[in-house]
Amino acid sequence: MASGGTMTLFAQFLVAGVATGCFLILATIGFSLTRRVEGFLNIAHAQLIGVSAFTTWAVNVLLGWHILAAAAIGIVFTALVGLAIGRLVYEPIRHHGPAVMLISSVGVTYVIGGIVDAAVGTGIRTFDIPLATSYEFFGVRITDYQAMVMALAALSGVSMALFLNKTKIGLAVRAMAANPELAASRGIDVRRTSMATWLLASGLAGLAGVMLGVVATLSTDIAFRQILQVLAVAILAGLGSLYSVILSGLIVGIAMDVSVLWIPAGYRPLIAFALVIVVLLFRPEGLAGRKSS
Amino acid sequence: MSKFNRSRRGLYTASVAAMAFAAAISGSVTAASAAEVTIGVLVPLTGELGEFGSIVAKGVELAANEINAAGGTSCGTIRTVVADTAGEPDHAIRAATKMIESDGAVAILGPTSGEMVALVDLAKRKKTVIVSPYAGTITLNKLGGDFVYRTVSSDLGDGAASGLWLTERGYKRVAFLVQNEESTISPAQVARTKVEKSGIEITDYVVYNPGQPSYQAELTAVLAHKPDAIYLAGGQESGVTVIKEATAGGFKGEWLFTADLAVPEIFDAVGARLLNDRAYVEFADADKSLPEYKAFEALHVAKAGEAPGPFAANSFDMMNLVALSLQASGDCTGAGINSAIRGVSEGGVAVSSFADGKAAIAAGKDIDYQGASGPLTFDASGTVAGAYSIQAAKDGAWVNTKFYPASLFD
Repeated sequence: MASGGTMTLFAQFLVAGVATGCFLILATIGFSLTRRVEGFLNIAHAQLIGVSAFTTWAVNVLLGWHILAAAAIGIVFTALVGLAIGRLVYEPIRHHGPAVMLISSVGVTYVIGGIVDAAVGTGIRTFDIPLATSYEFFGVRITDYQAMVMALAALSGVSMALFLNKTKIGLAVRAMAANPELAASRGIDVRRTSMATWLLASGLAGLAGVMLGVVATLSTDIAFRQILQVLAVAILAGLGSLYSVILSGLIVGIAMDVSVLWIPAGYRPLIAFALVIVVLLFRPEGLAGRKSS
Repeated sequence: MSKFNRSRRGLYTASVAAMAFAAAISGSVTAASAAEVTIGVLVPLTGELGEFGSIVAKGVELAANEINAAGGTSCGTIRTVVADTAGEPDHAIRAATKMIESDGAVAILGPTSGEMVALVDLAKRKKTVIVSPYAGTITLNKLGGDFVYRTVSSDLGDGAASGLWLTERGYKRVAFLVQNEESTISPAQVARTKVEKSGIEITDYVVYNPGQPSYQAELTAVLAHKPDAIYLAGGQESGVTVIKEATAGGFKGEWLFTADLAVPEIFDAVGARLLNDRAYVEFADADKSLPEYKAFEALHVAKAGEAPGPFAANSFDMMNLVALSLQASGDCTGAGINSAIRGVSEGGVAVSSFADGKAAIAAGKDIDYQGASGPLTFDASGTVAGAYSIQAAKDGAWVNTKFYPASLFD
């Protein structure tokens, strides 16, 4: 490593880590919302990321629409698919409890994966967008797409906070998350709140899918491969919390990428889980604690 | 060549598309009768490697049709059953077991590196021959040779060819980016040794995990050290992202890719502008100057309507070898094939098609099958010697630029 450039190099790893973390935030925030309101780990959330990525790809590349229009369609479509799955699959089995719903979500994962395989076929796909442009500040590079992921993660976090604290339906979501029976008895429309949750969580998966397609190269399995890191971030955050997802995503992203300075890159995923294990040893409830929102 | 040891698709199942494709290309999927001999075609039809799998399946089918047109083997006409592995060893084991137990397959053709390694025990236990047209993994250098064969050379030659090219280009500083899988690591290590011996500085040797949204962390140090060239042994998904991110990060040097990227789709995915005149790809290749290859190419164009893709010749050859082995042994089992496969591929009258081989065997002659992909003589590990090509990116296409004949690597 060049002597004078060590700090620059470190900063470069840091930028990569923040970008990785921000993508993880986008991928996890909807997953955590579902966990909090619907009470189970929806493994199929990662597949919705893929649904969005490939829908956006199809509209952008096959139909030749502008990426922004394609992204909007991808996100809305994914939100609707998530809502449909929530109503048709999860709602009827909710009374069986979270374990059954978790296992069922693995089944949903297979079905979505199979449909995506059948519809998309083999090989790789990329959006019709320009190559990333790099900007340099004090010798540290950042690409426009990295900046976009960071901005969207921040925007999602802020919008989510406003939604949950300032809107009627957001407050209903929080009430339902805290105590579904009580919420129902107090006149909260559980069905409508649940629909809002599915739309929002799946729409966020849709946004993550669009960014996945912008940054990465799409193969039919790449979206689902993010599930382990999504779980790591969610567990580290404390499964119930939304705001701590942001902190947790950044910690996991930065730890994984900066670790490459000292540890071979092949061990990046190990860093994520080592971190989770260490945190859970000292704080079994996760970063957020039990009762946080 | 290397390749195809992907253990990626955690929870995916074979899809409707795969089944439809399997049904389509296996043509007459009818019950096995006394006049038929069943061959399993076990390839990845879904996922990143799906395109390679379908090339292999078509190559086998082309050979099977030729064999059946020549009256079939003494065991009957060839019936193929096709299954998708999605590149997963565990899928491969399940599908292979079904092919052997239910379909009565006497040979299984087409598994990738990781799948071959996983199937070795099954092949020996069930006395069923398995042949791969592209599994280069050096693990088979120890495990292969009895019921386990390949019509492609091992990664030792693949890495050596890459090392030779990097040395010949006169680079001073080379970085290695290697996907974390046996099939990419094994040729990369051979190439690394070659390059080190020739005095080239290796600025970084980074082994990375595929399936990431971004490879910026892996690229940071690599780009900071400003190599003349990057040797990238990776799959299409990771490879395309790495190429784009390195270019956006200011990399101005040249590339050498391994076979996964030797497909035209790369130019669409990356953008030809980023590759033209600075990217090269190395892969195991048929010796296209051989008359056997030219005949195969003409047949492929006539019957399939397109030029043969990567490993099509190797796939065509493995089906012919199995059919000739059935013919020569007269024993319509995996053990029969295993006992004859070396005999029909070395020492004797040179033949280059099943029909010629069948006639020669009928005339009581020993035959030596000269394949479309090369002379095909198995060593102790059931591996053949192979030749390698380097292609250069020119005007949005891969163009032949250097050929290393098999004799260089003996």
